Amino acid sequence: MATKKFVCKVCGYVHEGDTPPEVCPICKAPASEFEEIKKKGFLGGTNSNAYIIFYSVVMVVVVAALLSVASLSLQKRQYENTLNEKKQQIVKALGENPETVSYGDIISDCRLLDAQGNPVEGKGEKEVFDAMKDLKGSIASGIYPIFIANNGCVVVPVYGVGLWDAIWGYVALEPDMNTVKGVVLDHKGETPGLGAEISTPKHQAKYVGKTIYNGEELVGITLKKGGAKPNDPNFAHEVDAVTGGTKTSDGVTNMLKNCLGNYKAYFDGVRNAASAQTAESNNELNSENNEQ
Amino acid sequence: MSSKSLKYLTGPLSSDNPVIVQILGICSALAVTVQLKPAIVMGLSVMVVTAFSNLVMSFLRNGVPSRIRIIVQLVVIATFVILVDQILKAFVYDVSKQLSVYVGLIITNCIVMGRVEAFALANKPWASFLDGIGNGAGYAMILIIVAFIRELLGSGSLFGFRIIPESWYIENGGFYSNCGLMLFPPMALIIVGCIIWVHRSRNKELQEK
Repeated sequence: MATKKFVCKVCGYVHEGDTPPEVCPICKAPASEFEEIKKKGFLGGTNSNAYIIFYSVVMVVVVAALLSVASLSLQKRQYENTLNEKKQQIVKALGENPETVSYGDIISDCRLLDAQGNPVEGKGEKEVFDAMKDLKGSIASGIYPIFIANNGCVVVPVYGVGLWDAIWGYVALEPDMNTVKGVVLDHKGETPGLGAEISTPKHQAKYVGKTIYNGEELVGITLKKGGAKPNDPNFAHEVDAVTGGTKTSDGVTNMLKNCLGNYKAYFDGVRNAASAQTAESNNELNSENNEQ
Repeated sequence: MSSKSLKYLTGPLSSDNPVIVQILGICSALAVTVQLKPAIVMGLSVMVVTAFSNLVMSFLRNGVPSRIRIIVQLVVIATFVILVDQILKAFVYDVSKQLSVYVGLIITNCIVMGRVEAFALANKPWASFLDGIGNGAGYAMILIIVAFIRELLGSGSLFGFRIIPESWYIENGGFYSNCGLMLFPPMALIIVGCIIWVHRSRNKELQEK
């Protein structure tokens, strides 16, 4: 490789040797028309394939390292932000203002329930919020988080699919496990102005006071296309669907029915205990009446 | 600071404004200008991304293989956008939620790519950095003007604080009502159009014959 290369400036012929040829064999140009091709710099200059591949590899490694460091160092803060947002939404579902009432003030207990409505032993707040991180996965594996307020209300998270993407929210129930105290709904990418209306306070206010049980059957809340009519027999379980957002509304209906259905065993347990108590107190009343 | 560097900063504010003269970055200007706060954060984010992409690309300009320079530019810009997105998520979570995908879409903002390709690859780092700041500021300025008008007339507030008294509203027995149209993206386009109109009528050299 000791030989130099010379290129003819007239026709582009490349000659190998220590000196340029006297005349170009192709176009007969004199030696003065020949120019030495200088060995290019690192890996053969900035436009050689080796340099481009080397450059790309180094670039990718540097960028990957930089982004990993940034992601790892900010992860904790980001997680706290999402956790805080979840807590605020739970407070909001209970009809309180998250700016004045904190999560700790109002929620006295949170649990993970199994399909029979029994709490899974030894699971504290940390495990509950870990389960909330992947709510879809938790629901699929039969673990259902529930938040119990100090006034006896409960809040359950719900998760479903709208028209375009995921929808989720929180439903707060009165201590009778039947009447809706409030809901918070949110979405990832429903159509703005149509399906996305589910996340507005105006829409969410419609759920308050509706009931999810029809007799012993858990029916959830249906978003009725064309509007819920007061003379409809199911009016207590219906709210107006979002105009122009029928698919999103159907998604919310299914989400509420499915997700609340997962808690039926628990709700029934609380309801039976409550009715047994009322029956008992009625009995006591009766016996007192008898005695008199 | 020399008059030349000053020109890099002030040129994009008026006579070479990326939004109202070059008509770049319109998409995000429509989407994030309903309220002032997200508009300001978005403007700052674009400014940071443009300035630092320009700076880095200007340092790399002699070593970048010209055949893959667009890809290298994209990687540099995308890196800064991801960093900005992560930082917003960690420190101003509510704003980052409002901006949602538009932070990620800074990558495709023509202003950033345009400045890197047209300026940073041919100029020294410091000049490129100033050019990035200037163009980011030019973009942010238009965003802020549009957001100011839209939030004031559309919601009656600025930065979320109520400016138009509650008692003025028709619901409360007053005479005033918010202009709902202001909340929709087409209105932003109309406002940008009006700004361009005013700007061109004051700058004769920008008018097409």
